[in-house]
Amino acid sequence: MTPAVYGVLFVFLAPVFGGLLAGVDRRVSARMQGRIGPPLLQPFYDLGKLLQKQARQVNPVVEPLLLGHVFFMAVSGVLLLSGTDLIFIAFVFALAALFLVLAAGSVNSPYSFAGAERELVVLLASEPFFILMMAAICKVTGASTYAGVLASPQLVAVQLPGVLLAFLLVATIKLRKSPFDISTSHHPHQELVSGLTTDMSGRMLAYVELAHWYESALLCAFMVLLFNWSVPLGLLAFAIAYALEVLVDNSTSRAKWQLVLRSTWAATLVFSGGNVLALFLLSR
Amino acid sequence: MSFFSRSPWILHYDGSSCNGCDIEVLACLTPLYDVERFGVLNTGNPKHADILLVTGSVNERNIEIVENLYRQMPDPKVVVAVGACACSGGIFARAYNIQGGIDKVIPVDVYVPGCAARPESIIDGVVQGIAALEAKRKKTA
Amino acid sequence: MTSLIAFLIAFPIVVGTILLLITRASIRNPIVLVASAAIAAASVATVVTFGNGDGVFFGLPGGIVPGQALLAAEIAITALIVVIGLMNRRILAPIMAIAQLAIALFLEVTGRMPEADPQRLFWFDRLSMVMILVIGLIGTLICVNAIGYMHDYHRSNPMIKGRRNVFFSILFIFLAGMFGLVVSNYLPMMLVFWEITTVCSFLLIGYTRTPETIGYAFKALNMNLLGGLGFGLAIALLADQHLGLDFAKLMAGPASGTLLAAVALLAFAGITKSAQMPFSSWLIGAMYAPSPTSALLHSSTMVKAGVFLLLRLSPAMSGSTVGYLVTFVGLGTFLFVSLVAVTEQNTKKVLAYSTIGSLGLIVGCAGIGTPELAWVGVMIIIFHALAKGLLFLVVGTIENRLYTKDMENFDTLLSRLPRVSVLALAGIAGMFIAPFGIVVAKWAAIRAFLLVPGGQGAVMILIMAFGSSLTLFYWGKLLIKVLSMRSISDYERSIERRISRYEWFTEGALAVGVIAVTASIGLISDRVVGPYALSAFAAGPQTFLNIEPAMLVVMLAAVLFLPLLAVWASTRKFDAADFYTSGRSANASHVMGAALGGSKSVTLRNYYLEGVINGAMMFRVGTLACGAILIAMVTVGMVVR
Ligand code: SF4
Repeated sequence: MTPAVYGVLFVFLAPVFGGLLAGVDRRVSARMQGRIGPPLLQPFYDLGKLLQKQARQVNPVVEPLLLGHVFFMAVSGVLLLSGTDLIFIAFVFALAALFLVLAAGSVNSPYSFAGAERELVVLLASEPFFILMMAAICKVTGASTYAGVLASPQLVAVQLPGVLLAFLLVATIKLRKSPFDISTSHHPHQELVSGLTTDMSGRMLAYVELAHWYESALLCAFMVLLFNWSVPLGLLAFAIAYALEVLVDNSTSRAKWQLVLRSTWAATLVFSGGNVLALFLLSR
Repeated sequence: MSFFSRSPWILHYDGSSCNGCDIEVLACLTPLYDVERFGVLNTGNPKHADILLVTGSVNERNIEIVENLYRQMPDPKVVVAVGACACSGGIFARAYNIQGGIDKVIPVDVYVPGCAARPESIIDGVVQGIAALEAKRKKTA
Repeated sequence: MTSLIAFLIAFPIVVGTILLLITRASIRNPIVLVASAAIAAASVATVVTFGNGDGVFFGLPGGIVPGQALLAAEIAITALIVVIGLMNRRILAPIMAIAQLAIALFLEVTGRMPEADPQRLFWFDRLSMVMILVIGLIGTLICVNAIGYMHDYHRSNPMIKGRRNVFFSILFIFLAGMFGLVVSNYLPMMLVFWEITTVCSFLLIGYTRTPETIGYAFKALNMNLLGGLGFGLAIALLADQHLGLDFAKLMAGPASGTLLAAVALLAFAGITKSAQMPFSSWLIGAMYAPSPTSALLHSSTMVKAGVFLLLRLSPAMSGSTVGYLVTFVGLGTFLFVSLVAVTEQNTKKVLAYSTIGSLGLIVGCAGIGTPELAWVGVMIIIFHALAKGLLFLVVGTIENRLYTKDMENFDTLLSRLPRVSVLALAGIAGMFIAPFGIVVAKWAAIRAFLLVPGGQGAVMILIMAFGSSLTLFYWGKLLIKVLSMRSISDYERSIERRISRYEWFTEGALAVGVIAVTASIGLISDRVVGPYALSAFAAGPQTFLNIEPAMLVVMLAAVLFLPLLAVWASTRKFDAADFYTSGRSANASHVMGAALGGSKSVTLRNYYLEGVINGAMMFRVGTLACGAILIAMVTVGMVVR
């Protein structure tokens, strides 16, 4: 199969993957709390219902911005799998996330705005890591594309233990898990009403969910990059990491944005930064 | 196929209640009853909700709030009045500031009796609410 | 070619002199319009005549060498600085100006000053071509914009004495200085044009003559004269070495010995002019001047002269310690001003920090000295000149309509000034949203830094990672404010109709330019910037940017998305009261009922990361750090040779 085919497959399969992951997540979380939890396909039922409901337009820019959010999330994945430069992907990924911030910020309501600002903060917290991770992967393998990294004989995770460690921390932000889920307040948490999705209803909320599923699939793809010697191993590593995230999600309360920013930056600087520095010094 | 029956999201509003019914509503979420099994989520946000669960009666000060929350819910939507207070004013009905049941302000689709309403009957009320939701969707679709 | 270049340098000076004598706006405005059109046309004609070859050299007709004329010009500039300095009781600037003149006089009197080659006075290559277009098109648009802006400016600031004849006069002389600078090949001649831009920016910053702006003007003058002094010393060093003062020959390849020392001094000059730390404060002070001044200083002139010089020096710095240290001054500046920018609420200052940061990237690229990074540097120059010129003009227009520069007061701009918002969004998209433009430059820069051996490569990448994310944060905040909407009154709706046609035309033209350049990025890379980078470093053929057509369509969509969305959305009706306020009802003007009766209006304020990032401290730390690196750079250049 050519890389372009993988890109097209991503558009259709990533939501399925992301939705199932959310379903498993809700069931596992329920079990951790001594409940049975919803059916596995619950996220898809929710999505279907949201699409059938009325969408209240609080202003005309929200919906187009959300569509942009979904579009660029999907495009990030397509470009990633179809062989675009990895460092460039990090920038497109950030752009995609920014569209959600803009949609929520444009509503001009107290809760949405606070959510948008917090999302901007977590974006600021996580973005350096992704740029650094992509640069480090390119440095280790000498490749610049997804296929190139997978074909490389270098074992990325072995050479980038610090980056892997920081990935676990930063993924907490991107998977919207407590203690770092300060901007959306996913359903069991109700701080800030619903954070940046407060004023989004019907299909608009469905777009946010859909984009998040693409995002989860992207993170999984990033994990495979780190475990580049075997795709199943990468998937297994993602599964373990996700299980850890769910455990942390259910056992912590949310942090203040200051702590999120400081700790993520510190981890990026110390773990990934130190790792990258060592890499450069040793590769002389 | 409709997804409403599989994914009813709830907004819980507490009017002039004694908090008895509210505790029972929250009990529905606990491991014992676990309404999330049926896809029920307590959203806390009218813009995400399908079913407005109201406990307690309306008084002079919260009429505006109840109306506002109801208006901000996207269609289709139903209202479930939980407990005697929400249905008719209950034991507070004669109090100086109480207007009466929720149906004084917004249309109520399901009345759940009890003081306090038991979790089982609340869940039953939600199930009837889902049926009403389906009916409304069919009408608009 | 020769005559066109001569026209570009002489004509603005003539126009400037005429404008100085005209105080009536009805006569001045047509002159400004016609002269701007003529200059723009001449700069395009120059580029067309040049075609698209490698560098060409030429002199004045009849083989005239400027010789004494240069000295006379330098004496005139020094005299001007001394007079104005003493009138304002400032002593530092006159001393530095005299010191610089003394160097020139000493060289001249002792007969050490190498003569210019009459056939190699001017050097025109693809980089000059880019600069000529930037100055000739963007610079003149700013001049035309100033007609409308200054009219409103003086109406809303009646306390300031109107000296618009002086203002427009200096604008044109400034352009002449820039044109001369980017085509000079004989270093003493370049220095004269260099000082002309210094003096012009000094006069423009101090235009309002309030104690505050006079202070900032002298700050700018002092810092730039210090740079000029470095330039003069470089000439003195080279004069002794009998290497000649032919710029193109000196900068042909990696420098060593005395030449490296001269390169370090010239780089120092370039760093002062491009407002890198520790010299950033002069450009921030310049924000208090009228907005066309800011636009001119930031986009097409002045700071661009600094990075132009550094890019010219790039082949000479290649691989040297001096080059690495220059890179760290640039990247350090990029990081620290980005940290400051996230804490800043004044939109003009945010734009200023963003300018310094972008220039820092160019400086960082120039220091390493590889074709890839030179390519990045020139790309940033093009995108930044267009987008930043546009943004400063737009902020100026907003300031004249809403009487505020505060980012927080820009909220619901899309409802209040819809058409201005479209222009602002085009500018921001060009600066930052576009996966091309500055972002593509960052991407290419990281790619190139990956090849830098040793620990410094890792540090460069770390700086890029954090710096880029910080820019995302402050642009995001500005975008949120611009994109938000509410319902507005008829009076508010009428405000936008009072914007002058000069402003509409110039800002619209720049917005179209941003999009056109983004669309033709492949062409610009393949035909102009790529060949420039290869010929400057005498490198073998290579491609810099490989864009498939499908990718270009996606990216162009990203640039057009926000402006088009704004065009569409501003005409739509909607229920502005329908937002969640915990059940309290709010009205469309964002006033909501308070808990105990009465009402409160909803005000939403961006995060400025108080308690996590201290902007003032970051500025000081950056100044100290970059200052130390700069001193190390000059020392290494002078001592190690
Ligand atoms: S119905 Fe009874 S338990 Fe429920 S709120 Fe009213 S008084 Fe309390």
